[in-house]
Amino acid sequence: MTRLFAIFLFNTVIAIAGVEEYLRDIKPVLKERCYACHGALKQKAGLRVDSAENLRKGSKRGDVLALGQAEAGELLVRLTAADAGERMPPEGVPLKLEEIKAIREWIAAGAPVPQSEIAEADPREHWSFQVPKCVPMPGNAGNPIDDLLEARLVKHRLKAQPPAERTILIRRLYLDLIGLPPTEKQLQDERRWESIVEELLASPYHGERWARHWMDVWRYSDWYGLGDEVRDSQKQLWRWRDWMVTSLNENKGYDQMVREMLAADEIAPEDLETVAATGFLARSYYKFNRTTWLDNTVEHTGKAFMGLTMNCAKCHDHKYDPIDHLDYYKFRAIFEPYQVRVDAMPGPLDLAKNGITRVYDGNLGAATYLHERGDESKVDKNRKISAAPPAFLASGWEPPKPVELPLEAWRPDMQKFVQQGFLSQKLAKVTEAEAQLEKLKLKKAAQKEKRAKSKSIKPVKGETILTDDFSKPRPDLWTVFGSDSRYQDDSLSITKSSFDTTYLRSKVNHPRDFELELKFKTTGGQKWKSTGIRFDVDKSGDNSHFVYTSVFGAKVHLAHTIKGKDKYTQAVAKRSIKLNQIYTLGLKVRDQLVNVTLDGEFLFAYTLPRRQPGAVQLLAYDAVADFHGVEIRRLPTQVFLERAGSGGKATVTVETINLAEAKLRLAKAEYAFGKARIDADNAVFRKEGNGSAETAGEKQIEAGLAKARVDLLDSKKTAEAEKKIKRLIADLQAEKFPDLEPLRFSQVSLINTPNKDALPSEGGYPRTSSGRRTALANWLTHRDHPLVARVAVNHIWLRHFGTPLVETVSDFGLRAPRPLHQDLLDYLAVEFIESGWDMKHLHRLILTSKAWQRSSSNLGADENTLAADPGNLHYWRMNVRRMEAQVVRDSLLHLAGTLDLAQGGPSVTPTPNARRRGLYFFHSRDGRSRFLATFDDADVFACYRRSESIVPQQALAMMNSQIAAASAKQIAALFEPEMSPEVFVRAAFSKILSRPPAQAELAESLAYLEVQPKREHFIHALINLNDFLMIR
Amino acid sequence: MTQDDPIAMSRRALLQSALGFGALAVNGIMAAETQNRPDGKPHFIPRAKRVIWLFMRGGVSHMESFDPKPALNEFAGKSISETPYKSVLDASKIRKLRIPIKGDANGHTRTKIFPMQTGFKRYGQSGIEISDWFPNIGSCADDIAFIRSMWTSDNNHGAQIQFHSGRHFLDPRVPTIGAWINYGLGSLSKNLPQFINIGPRFFDKKDAHYLGPAYEAVNLKIDPKNPLDYAKSSNGMTAAEQRRNLDLTNKLNRLAAKQYPLDPVIEARIKSYELAFRMQTAVPDALDFSQESSETKKLYGIDQNETKSFGQQLLAARRLSERGVRFIQIMHGDGAAGAWDNHSGLKNGHSKLSRQVDLPTAGLLKDLKRRGLLEDTIVVFATEFGRTPGSQGADGRDHHSFGFSVWMAGGGIKGGVTNGSTDELGYHAVQAPHYVTDVHATINHLMGIDPHKLEVPGHKRLEVDFGHVIEDIIA
Repeated sequence: MTRLFAIFLFNTVIAIAGVEEYLRDIKPVLKERCYACHGALKQKAGLRVDSAENLRKGSKRGDVLALGQAEAGELLVRLTAADAGERMPPEGVPLKLEEIKAIREWIAAGAPVPQSEIAEADPREHWSFQVPKCVPMPGNAGNPIDDLLEARLVKHRLKAQPPAERTILIRRLYLDLIGLPPTEKQLQDERRWESIVEELLASPYHGERWARHWMDVWRYSDWYGLGDEVRDSQKQLWRWRDWMVTSLNENKGYDQMVREMLAADEIAPEDLETVAATGFLARSYYKFNRTTWLDNTVEHTGKAFMGLTMNCAKCHDHKYDPIDHLDYYKFRAIFEPYQVRVDAMPGPLDLAKNGITRVYDGNLGAATYLHERGDESKVDKNRKISAAPPAFLASGWEPPKPVELPLEAWRPDMQKFVQQGFLSQKLAKVTEAEAQLEKLKLKKAAQKEKRAKSKSIKPVKGETILTDDFSKPRPDLWTVFGSDSRYQDDSLSITKSSFDTTYLRSKVNHPRDFELELKFKTTGGQKWKSTGIRFDVDKSGDNSHFVYTSVFGAKVHLAHTIKGKDKYTQAVAKRSIKLNQIYTLGLKVRDQLVNVTLDGEFLFAYTLPRRQPGAVQLLAYDAVADFHGVEIRRLPTQVFLERAGSGGKATVTVETINLAEAKLRLAKAEYAFGKARIDADNAVFRKEGNGSAETAGEKQIEAGLAKARVDLLDSKKTAEAEKKIKRLIADLQAEKFPDLEPLRFSQVSLINTPNKDALPSEGGYPRTSSGRRTALANWLTHRDHPLVARVAVNHIWLRHFGTPLVETVSDFGLRAPRPLHQDLLDYLAVEFIESGWDMKHLHRLILTSKAWQRSSSNLGADENTLAADPGNLHYWRMNVRRMEAQVVRDSLLHLAGTLDLAQGGPSVTPTPNARRRGLYFFHSRDGRSRFLATFDDADVFACYRRSESIVPQQALAMMNSQIAAASAKQIAALFEPEMSPEVFVRAAFSKILSRPPAQAELAESLAYLEVQPKREHFIHALINLNDFLMIR
Repeated sequence: MTQDDPIAMSRRALLQSALGFGALAVNGIMAAETQNRPDGKPHFIPRAKRVIWLFMRGGVSHMESFDPKPALNEFAGKSISETPYKSVLDASKIRKLRIPIKGDANGHTRTKIFPMQTGFKRYGQSGIEISDWFPNIGSCADDIAFIRSMWTSDNNHGAQIQFHSGRHFLDPRVPTIGAWINYGLGSLSKNLPQFINIGPRFFDKKDAHYLGPAYEAVNLKIDPKNPLDYAKSSNGMTAAEQRRNLDLTNKLNRLAAKQYPLDPVIEARIKSYELAFRMQTAVPDALDFSQESSETKKLYGIDQNETKSFGQQLLAARRLSERGVRFIQIMHGDGAAGAWDNHSGLKNGHSKLSRQVDLPTAGLLKDLKRRGLLEDTIVVFATEFGRTPGSQGADGRDHHSFGFSVWMAGGGIKGGVTNGSTDELGYHAVQAPHYVTDVHATINHLMGIDPHKLEVPGHKRLEVDFGHVIEDIIA
């Protein structure tokens, strides 16, 4: 500002006292603090202070200066008011005393007006807000870019540098278009330049290279969250990335890409690959706050496509651009209805693994209101705000028309692949259940055969250690604990249900290897009704093992008691245990191996982790029980024991078979129900087939019955299942069928939904979409939109030349001065639009220009040119650029031959061993590649332009990282070891730098190899060269 | 340049100016080209040269640390509305809050008064009351300015971001105070980055944001074997081999510079490699405590299990500050929310955590003082918010953003003073309330920075970002 001011001063003849002070001390202050409300943009109270003349005109209430009067005028009164509510400016600190003094003195001097002072221009006349017009070509250099640039070079007597060396150019082209360095062979390509350009534009890698650029601009980010909770962005967002790659490779028009990102769900609702483009909007998802979510959408739609800082109007009118506070909320209203959901994709019906994140208009009824000072707790509900672009740009805007969506869009379950996928899933379950049943039947037969064999062997009995029929107390055998046991009816009764507080413990210990039979019946209890026996009981009674039957648990189970705490094992047999029925529980224990039988039937075998022979102890847990007898014998060595792991759950019983049969019936019933509901849906919505809701309802009940009949076999669920069966049968007879719910192959990520429209009801998602985003997309891509093509062209130019034509790539508003090369920018924008927004056409135009092919060196540059334009504003040479983070890594791996060039798919974890191209790396708030971050990888919040820093961490990464060290070694291995040092050095330079070494470089390299013959170390030094990291 | 070429400064001229100054930011040899970055000189004569920033993650209870509230004992168990101070709950007073997570289990009004869980004693000549959980910090009271009237507007742990950047969790991310200092001032070291972070972070692992990667904190680990990413060769090159490689790289880069004269990048690249090479030894050297006496280690509590970890972080901080690091950011408290987040078992939790930090922190102050470093080193002891005067559950306190305490000491700060106060219950900052950026403003002021001069085009800073200097604690 001071510099401009200096020029101004220089050009002005200063005659009148006070003018100099006005220009030096007052005007800059007014500009900084007051113009936003009292200038060309706005004239609050009718006052403009952007020229002395305007100040003298005063406000709508009259004079503000009070020239020649003793009392201060309104201007000074307001600037010096003590009351903050009265004082101007209303925001920020008051003007400084010396600033006010200067104003007072200027007024006292009669408020002199400088000659030819020009007030601010109307902001709507800002250069970038005018529709770009094709300019007349100044020359005939062949390429319009050169015509325009050379005209200016000639005008300023600047001399351009010659083209770069062919191999340097080829490397530049490869890195620019596909992001991978050329091979030796490609480097020697002698075809016409245009043919190489054409070939690379057609390469599938071109889409990957340029998708990463647009991922920056459109702020691609994978999801972030804790556990499964998504807090930021969305899962499956990679489909949007793949859409970018594909679209760029197909050369889809930029306008079409913008339309698809903003409204594919409205313009191509049946085409899921295209709907993936709405990832642009899904990315702004933010779990904690809907306003933050939409703020991001508004800000980045504005910046990415229009170069407008809409976000500056969130709390108040924009300070520079003609966007008022209300415009912000009108723009928000365009997005107010949209929500995010995950739908199924063809392939496995699994939303988590194979879903698509997409947007849809959910909150159709949601109103948009103005937030006072941007505070979402201060909502002005007096006024509903409708969707519209900022008023000053509204030309070409067509009011939104609601879009009727096809069935498949609002009922994603009605998509044919979902219906078919669903039925195949059901059918697979039937097949699975059939196979299971078959397997069990075979197994049972085998078990039966085995059992018959073992029974034919005559049992051998060992020495009896303890036997008791419980007909009378035997204090010689047992110690009695607790008070609730009694001998009656030839048995020992535990008379009160307790948690194992009344029991008998044997006075003798059983041997290490023993067999035991316990005869008992459970007669009652509260819940578990568990009866059994402990063994290996130590003196304290705190450690033992035990086997018990449980009526409620319907099982026989082995468990341990360790230091008084029960630990349950996996050794369990499902077995219904009836009350008042006498069972014989049998144990055979040898070393750590236990076999358990019930009524002679083998149940399971188990290996005890450790054991110490001890006493036995009768067990009644939560049960009332009678013990009829116990016998413990030594276990003879010839008795066969089943191996651990056999039996238990593996034992096939009649009950297991019954259950498997019931499950098969259930699978079949569910398949029938699935088919019936799809038939019903097709009949209702597609008028296909003869399905009906009644049939489907009947099948649903039958499936419910089949489920209840499975539950019936589970003693914990029996009672509930019986009730359910009764109810379902009654419903069936009364033909009372349930309403059909849509299949759930869709999930919503809703927050702050003011109405329920957005949720999938039985009717599915809303059948119409508001059409607001389509209206937005059409307006943006209207050929008369002054900003969209210019902004896109500027981004593309930046990524070819290293510097943009408009410095502030995301702000084309009033703070962006008219660019030096506006003619070029406008030419490219018009050409872009007229070519059908053809990006490859633009690339071709740029890459075949002389400007792009110039040498990037100052060597031999014209002295005057260097002095006049050292910053290369006129593109008299090429700019040197550093490879972006991804290109550094991809190039290293590509040179080493280890880059995995597979395309597309879910993002990969950025480990040092990952071999996919960098654009496929998981890239989110917390999940980023450390290596890429070191080289200025894109900021996930916003990255309209990468930084190009030079920091020691980059040097450390290239010197020490595994990827650099390993690549150096692998590259070195590609050269024949027999090569002479000189041949090797030449080949290495060519491979890594795409150029031969200069004589001095060769000499240095050979000297190095004399001392350090390890060639991988030499390669390591080469990949650390500035010339490797830079695109020359 | 002619009149239709109005771009103020050429890219190359800009780079040359950035490289021309002696005081270069070490980890930003060349930053984003588009920014007209500051020249590395303070805007006015500074009082302090560096900052050691200690941050207790999770929220330290002010009523059990630096702000005694006897009324809590008097009304223990009563509801706030039954006390004479019921007006603390007036809706008008709690309007400042912006709740990021609606319906979250935390961050509620807790009305049943919970008595102080520890006692307080007066310390030093100043007689400032400090809780019995911080006796060693108490012994340094005459060197410390306690600020008992902090407030913030986020009642959840996003307030950690807010304390560092001045912006609420729901606002866009902006640079933190450490990044601004790094951006604003040149380096004091030829061998080390000038902005370092040690310790666990969760909420925002970035500091520089729009200032660009060159101004990020460099993360160090207290591990002499692997203190810094990529600081050790992964292919077993010896130091001599590396030096030889570096010499070749430099020679070849210089030869390339002949083909590309006036390219500022090449020289910057060479410098960055030299610096990287020195960092490889300078960083482990800074973290090599074997050169410290056992008396010093004891001073930091490195000889005791409980204080060892934080003591090592603080001894590293002192060693780094001696070596010219500008801003050393030390985080204490593991876990997503931060260890100090004692929603239950406050007595147990806080007494343990305070034992971890109290002795080492006092050790740091004493060590800096005896070495003459405290005069130009600002030490900050902060946390994202306080804890509720009311109880949560049986024995915890919830998040509390309306009033809490931090302290500052050293370079240009008065010792033995308190500033501001909360009401009788410790609910609201009532006297001299300070928003979090007042701490930043005070640091900027003492470091000689006018933050208004550090604005980056395209990133408007708000008045609230700048804060107000806490004049009363300036010596």
